[in-house]
Amino acid sequence: MKFEKRRAKSQEGIPTASLPDIVFMLLLFFMVSTTLREVDVLVQYSLPQAAAIEKIENKRLVSYIWVGRDERIQLNDSIIELEDIQDLMYRKRVELPNVIVSLRIDKNSDMGIVTDIQQELRKADARRINYSTLLKP
Amino acid sequence: MVKIKKRKLKEAEIPTGSMADIAFLMLLFFLVSTVIDVDTGIGLTLPEYIPPQEQEYVPLSKDRLAAILINENGDVLLNGDVIAIPQIKDNLKERIEEKINLPSNKKLVVSVKTDRKTNYNLFIQALDQIKGAYFEVREAYSQTKFGKKTLDLNEEETNEVREKIPITISIAEPENVKK
Repeated sequence: MKFEKRRAKSQEGIPTASLPDIVFMLLLFFMVSTTLREVDVLVQYSLPQAAAIEKIENKRLVSYIWVGRDERIQLNDSIIELEDIQDLMYRKRVELPNVIVSLRIDKNSDMGIVTDIQQELRKADARRINYSTLLKP
Repeated sequence: MVKIKKRKLKEAEIPTGSMADIAFLMLLFFLVSTVIDVDTGIGLTLPEYIPPQEQEYVPLSKDRLAAILINENGDVLLNGDVIAIPQIKDNLKERIEEKINLPSNKKLVVSVKTDRKTNYNLFIQALDQIKGAYFEVREAYSQTKFGKKTLDLNEEETNEVREKIPITISIAEPENVKK
């Protein structure tokens, strides 16, 4: 007796009609969740490492201060002097009351400059700070 | 008369076959250009600024205070004893644990003081040890009390842990030294 090969009646192939929609959805997700880096870092620095660290939950609240190897200070997108911090941070705090200042300070800096920056921040009443560190492996 | 047949127009259509490819290209661009740098670090709240002439001296009893001093050579003093930075954690843990059940005005206060010439990295290492001590005590507390990790606690329980083991780190007022 001859057996006939059974074949599925339905068509083979994955329906690709909705593929663009799916991809667009993915694309949209990435576009929305991306925060493009809008500042160029003008100083050279390498962060210290620590183990007991936390993540900053809300990125939109963060404002950055960099301190490079050569002790230059950068706030947001320009190199500034120590005396300007108070004024600039105060203005920032007015528009964003619970701003977190992330201090990205080179690990070979002296505490002197760190203390000075902290004093300026206290005068500007921007008191939530975060010493930016990398995770110690 | 010859009947002129109306030519049937084909239905206009945009070819959508390559749409997925275009979308994929855009997706790829965003994937590549995205910087997902999670901001990690040691959080701290600075004290309010009070001008030097209005500053008051608030005495703090000795058993509440853990004073850490780091000098410019990287020597560390904890309450007057010279110790190494990795020892800070165990030293503090005991003292924090002792004070879990005390009222909030009797909890430990850790004060960190550095010299102007102290290396920033050392300061971070010390701060890391202090934070680590607090986190470990919190972890142990939530394990024994709730049988859960601190991350899995609900809001109420988190608040209780925070209230029992508050993190009080004081960055000492800088002294006036000649720059």
